[in-house]
Amino acid sequence: MNMDFSWLYEIPTRNLALLSIAVFVGFYWLGAIFLRPILRQFVKHTAGSNDIVGYVLSCFCVFYGLLLGLIAVTAYQNVADAGSNVTREAAALSALYEDVSRYPDPYGQNLRWLLRDYTRYVIKYAWPLQQKGIVPEEGTIRAEAFHDRLLDFQPTTPAEEILHAEAMRQLNHFLECRRMRLFSVRSALPASMWYVMILGAVLNLAICWLFDMRFLTQLVLGGILAAYLGTMIFLIVDMNQPFRGDVSVSSEAFETLYRRMNED
Amino acid sequence: MTTTSISRRSAVKSGVAATLAAARALSPALFVGCSLGIPPRARKVTVGMLHSQTGPLAISATSLRDIELFSFEKINAAGGLLGCQIDALAPDPRSRTDLFEKRSRQVLDAGAVAVFGCWTSLSRKAVLPLFEERDNLLFYSVQYEGNESSKNVVYGGLVPNQQVLPTIDWLTGAGGGMKKKIFLLGSDYVFPRTANFIAKKYLALKGLKPAGEAYYPLGHADFGPAVKTILASGADCVLNTVNGDSNLGLFAALHAAKIDPAKVPVVSTSIAEDELRSLLPEQVTGHYAASCYYQSLPSENNRRWVADFRNEFGSDRVTGDPMEPDYCLVQLWKQAVERAGSFETEAVRQAFRDGLTFDGPGGQVRLDPKTQHTTKYFRLGKIRADRQFDIVHESESPIDPDPYPQIAFPGWSCDWTKNGVTRGAEVDINGNV
Repeated sequence: MNMDFSWLYEIPTRNLALLSIAVFVGFYWLGAIFLRPILRQFVKHTAGSNDIVGYVLSCFCVFYGLLLGLIAVTAYQNVADAGSNVTREAAALSALYEDVSRYPDPYGQNLRWLLRDYTRYVIKYAWPLQQKGIVPEEGTIRAEAFHDRLLDFQPTTPAEEILHAEAMRQLNHFLECRRMRLFSVRSALPASMWYVMILGAVLNLAICWLFDMRFLTQLVLGGILAAYLGTMIFLIVDMNQPFRGDVSVSSEAFETLYRRMNED
Repeated sequence: MTTTSISRRSAVKSGVAATLAAARALSPALFVGCSLGIPPRARKVTVGMLHSQTGPLAISATSLRDIELFSFEKINAAGGLLGCQIDALAPDPRSRTDLFEKRSRQVLDAGAVAVFGCWTSLSRKAVLPLFEERDNLLFYSVQYEGNESSKNVVYGGLVPNQQVLPTIDWLTGAGGGMKKKIFLLGSDYVFPRTANFIAKKYLALKGLKPAGEAYYPLGHADFGPAVKTILASGADCVLNTVNGDSNLGLFAALHAAKIDPAKVPVVSTSIAEDELRSLLPEQVTGHYAASCYYQSLPSENNRRWVADFRNEFGSDRVTGDPMEPDYCLVQLWKQAVERAGSFETEAVRQAFRDGLTFDGPGGQVRLDPKTQHTTKYFRLGKIRADRQFDIVHESESPIDPDPYPQIAFPGWSCDWTKNGVTRGAEVDINGNV
């Protein structure tokens, strides 16, 4: 089960980053004011309490830092994989377009139109839907229309047979890449990861409240740590879904292809 | 050195003051309109498109989907309709009559305020009961046989008095070579059968009889026997109401039989530029099509429209009938919605009553409030080798629609500004009144 953070992606990236930092720093400061006096009771009379808290915090930070780092890498990898799929799909589409351009008319012309139609749909309709986390369905109809029309063609010469076989191979590759793109639209970190990540951040800040130091120093140093945690969490949120947010896959590969198709 | 210690109270005070100041400073960026900078969601209105994108009818119907998308995109880019962005829903009925009703239900369940679509009369008749039951509007842009009028359908295509009858006038007149033996060839469904029924009545008025009549199932490919029948009948021309991919087989058979278009021209009612791209020029050049619009129309309005469409969809795309009527229907619907200030069916229908006109690429069209059909120019085009048409004949002015020509449907009429359909004697399209 994925947590629904849809509303987050509607916030402009800069505002989302500022919001994430503000939430973490605000949480830390509010905790420093209201919870710190209570938590401090547990270590108040312990000699060298700051050393103990510092030791616990550094141990905790190692584990938490590793977790955050790995999650960030995983999220980035998801985006990169989706990006590769998109590039492969556009490349397969381009190769298919070249193949069908060699077909005799009217098949060749019809097939080219259908591929252009598919590409246009991906850019104008599928991409905005993907950016909302919705799997675009109508592209399937366009891909099927192309598939049907390609199967209508009956090669009459050995050269056409070779060309047709290659086009069918490219079509299968294209359909595979397309399916992978659609699968990746909804891919995101599982809810359990988010729970662990948020709990880790809260505990991290809670340990900082245990330090015995001047209040202003507490606010400043803890605030800096909270701000960075907020930034890290923002980064992971932004990369969480491959087609959403600022760090996401763009439709550039399809746009370039469509421009080239229209120049032909 | 003296250290000034800051008390918790003063630190809290300073902290709160600083936080408030920061919040105040950041709030314009963070909380624009209390929305965190989230752009306001555009209001949306769903419009359905029922066009076969796969199967034998896809060759023609896909272009209607494209012209509608093109129109909606333009409307959306200009700010939408009544402040709403049009969200087009286009499921695929796969050229299967049984799926049209299912797909209609799907788009109406999704809240579509209007549906543009259907190609064959079979598909239109399959969805009609659903539109009437739910009181929704279907905009149908393909030429059809008439003998129908529903307050839930706006008919944008030619009816027989705007297409078949003027074609017969031309064929039997000086322009068409005073033909006397017209062979009626069609696909086997309601449009060709009804259109030919009307044609026979009209020929009888002129003292003529068809040279022959034959029907083949939709999707039929082997027209060799049909061509033999035509030749055997001694026909001097063919009125062709074959629809869809079947025309490929028909023209291949005509070409194989070496039928000379100069001697036995075929006038098709369902062939436009879009269909020509699948037909081999050597098989069709010199034959004719009866229509209301051709891409080759020389008007400035048309040139601009064609250029816009090609700029968007590719320079080798073509426009034709029924793309132009379909585009006009979208514009007439837009006008009606704006006039009504509402997407509600009844309000939009009331706006039709005011009489709407639109200067389309093929000339001005007027939505006739009585019949909910549109006025049309009749144009006869001769097929060129470059898959375009030379316009060889054009009506002097737009022809008013008559879904119930009295020669074929005596006593029948339609007036949606009054009582709706007035029924006459039941008519059997096989000829028995």
